Amino acid sequence: MDDMEDTTIFSTLKSFKSLISGPDHSLLETEPAYGRSDLQKLYTKRVELEEAAERVRSHTSLLQLTQEKQQMELSHKRARIELEKEAHSSSRDLQREIDRNRELLLKIRRLEEREEKANQALNEQMENNKALKRNLEELHKKANVKDSKLTEADQMISELKDETRRLNQKIQIQESKFSTQNLEIQALQEQLDVQRKKYQDVSQRYQNLQSSHSISTESELKMKELERRLALQEQDSVIVKNMKSEMVRLPELEREIKRLREENCFLRETKENNSLLKEETEGLRKKLERVERVMEEKLKAELEKEKLEQELQAWENIGQAAGLNIRKPEDLSREVIQIQQRELNLKQQNYTLNSRWTESLLNFTSWKTGVLELKLVLLYVGQERDGMRAILESYDSELATSEYSPQLMFRVKEAEDMLQKVQAHNTEMETQLSKAQEEAGSFKLQVQMMTAELEALKEQHVSNAEKNTLATAEEVSSLRQKIEELEAERQRLEEQNNILEMRLERHNLQGDYDPVKTKVIHLQMNPTSIAKQQHAEEVEQLRLECQLLRDRIRKIEAGGGVTKDDTTLIIPPSQEILDLRKQMESAELKNQRLKEVFQKKIQEFRTACYVLTGYQIDITVENQYRLTSVYAEHMEDSLLFKSTGPVGSGSMQLLETDFSRTLTGLVDLHLFHQKSIPVFLSAVTIELFSRQTVT
Amino acid sequence: MSKTLKGITLKGSAELVAEFFSFGINSILYQRGIYPAETFTRVTQYDMSLQLTTDAKLKNYLTNVISQLKEWLFDCTVQKLVVVITCLETNEVLERWQFDLECDKTFFLPDQCKYESIQEEIRSVIRQITATVTFLPLLETACAFDLLIYTDKDLEVPEQWEESGPQLIDQSEEVRLRSFTTTIHKVNSMVAYKRTNST
Repeated sequence: MDDMEDTTIFSTLKSFKSLISGPDHSLLETEPAYGRSDLQKLYTKRVELEEAAERVRSHTSLLQLTQEKQQMELSHKRARIELEKEAHSSSRDLQREIDRNRELLLKIRRLEEREEKANQALNEQMENNKALKRNLEELHKKANVKDSKLTEADQMISELKDETRRLNQKIQIQESKFSTQNLEIQALQEQLDVQRKKYQDVSQRYQNLQSSHSISTESELKMKELERRLALQEQDSVIVKNMKSEMVRLPELEREIKRLREENCFLRETKENNSLLKEETEGLRKKLERVERVMEEKLKAELEKEKLEQELQAWENIGQAAGLNIRKPEDLSREVIQIQQRELNLKQQNYTLNSRWTESLLNFTSWKTGVLELKLVLLYVGQERDGMRAILESYDSELATSEYSPQLMFRVKEAEDMLQKVQAHNTEMETQLSKAQEEAGSFKLQVQMMTAELEALKEQHVSNAEKNTLATAEEVSSLRQKIEELEAERQRLEEQNNILEMRLERHNLQGDYDPVKTKVIHLQMNPTSIAKQQHAEEVEQLRLECQLLRDRIRKIEAGGGVTKDDTTLIIPPSQEILDLRKQMESAELKNQRLKEVFQKKIQEFRTACYVLTGYQIDITVENQYRLTSVYAEHMEDSLLFKSTGPVGSGSMQLLETDFSRTLTGLVDLHLFHQKSIPVFLSAVTIELFSRQTVT
Repeated sequence: MSKTLKGITLKGSAELVAEFFSFGINSILYQRGIYPAETFTRVTQYDMSLQLTTDAKLKNYLTNVISQLKEWLFDCTVQKLVVVITCLETNEVLERWQFDLECDKTFFLPDQCKYESIQEEIRSVIRQITATVTFLPLLETACAFDLLIYTDKDLEVPEQWEESGPQLIDQSEEVRLRSFTTTIHKVNSMVAYKRTNST
């Protein structure tokens, strides 16, 4: 466009130039011609104006073109922007598409994997299927085996049934045998009766035999007895004979008897004496034994007594030897106590002596050291003195007569005094040392004596301790008491222990446990908790049901009748109830239909009767029929008939009405004479009809 | 089922005891009427006929407990097994069947350990359980049972097991029954029941 604009601009310029040059030429040409100058001026002005206008036009067109160019540029930019936007959007779309592509690829991969898995699963399933088929085959085989077994079992059953039949037959045979045997038994019983009778006869005979036998034995016995008696009597006779001979000797015998009796008495007495003497001897023997024993004991006691006397003597001697006044054991114990006390004292003394000895030793050593020190000091002092003396001598040697000599002499004197003092001190120390040594020596002696005494006392104590019964007896008794107390405590503790053990056992039986060592656990889902839950739920359900029922009852009592609102229980109706309901509904429907049909038929029939017979028959009251004629003049004109007699017999009687009074003639004629109601009715109809048609 | 074992191992003893508990608990449930008699079926065990339940839930529960108990018997960490019978209405404990366990960890194979003698002992215990019906008071109300196990305090228990109280009977009478031993485990049985006011 710019090129075009440029070309237009150039073209316009060229034209302008050409125009300018044209008129210039024209101007140049026409310079001399002043005549045409005004028109030429006008014309040149016009041309100039037109050129200006053209310039302006071209300028405006240039401006327009530039504007258009700018617009075009803007639109170009906009188009570019839009294109860029489109490019962006397209790139985004591309990205999205790429992403979607990726996703789809992923999905495809996943689906492929799933497919593979599905294939694998399918394969597995196929394998499972095959395995199952194999199992099925095996099971079929097993079933077959079992069938075969079943058939075998059936065979066995049949065999067993045959066996049972055979056994039944056997049983029957046995029963027949049994019956035959029963008959045999009866025959045998008859035989037995016969035999019994025979036996009775025989037994009677036997009894007779026995009685006769007994009689014979009795007679034999009698015979024997008589023979015996006879023998006795013979003996008696013999005896009598002997007696007679002996009777002769009787007095002698009596004398002898007396003598013997006396002897007997004598012997009895002697026997009593003997027995007494024997007892005496026994007693004496025992006494003798006792006495001998006593003698022995006495000897032993005497020996012991001698021994004890000796010991006592020894004790007394000990007492005498020890210089103590001992007569009784109490004295001995007292002495022992005294000795012990003395021992204690001596020990204390010993201890004190030892301490003092140690102190003295220490002192001695200290003194020794002091002495040594003093000796040293002495030596030093001596040396000092010598030194001083040497100095003094030197001074003396140096100075013949000086003013210092009295002072020196004074000093010397002082030194000598010092020396003397030191010497005195030294001797004192030496004496003290010797005293200390002597004291130490005396202490040593004392200690030795004390130890000797102590040993002697110890020996005595040991020998006395055995005979010191009092102290030990006291100890023994105290120990025994302690033992008894401990025994009692032990028994008490044992009883307590038993009681506690029983209690523990009881608690263990009841199920107690030590919470430190044991814990009790159970499953959370245990039957008791489940039962409790169910129980609670049941109770809740029953309560709700109760509540609903109560509400329903209240509503029913208040409203009356079965209400069909939300208080009705949704009791699932049983099948019977549904059937019955259906039956009821069908029956009701039937009823309804029957009623309708009946109604219709009745209506038909009534209309037919009315039309055909001319009377409308209504049942006003039980057994009363009101007939209204079709030709009745007034609506109320009606005849009343009453049914008399049993129902269904058909006997009717006319009742008096207003209308019937107007028809008395007809009534008399047809009812009383002819006794025919249909004739009467037809007569009435004719009458009314005639009345109507006439009027 | 007559095995003649030369000796008995800890595992075998644990299995024996667990089996005894399984049949013993079933007998108790049948005798005391916790579950209706028609839900039980007759089986032969220990040369005598015993009742075993056919209720699936109950069977499941019993197998859970008994299998866990077998493990603990093997570890010798269980001290007592208690069957607690509670009345549903009043939540009172009416009966408590307690089986004390003593475990001899220092077991050694004895010379003559016969399975038959152990069986004889178990038979007498179960017969005694059956005989207790004569003096135990009637359970007139609906009852439920629970199994409690007394173990060492520091034993780690699986999640389904929770701690509970000992569920003791208030005013109880206790009767000691026979015991049996497999030389590794000794089981003492006893029953405690609530004293009835009429007695």
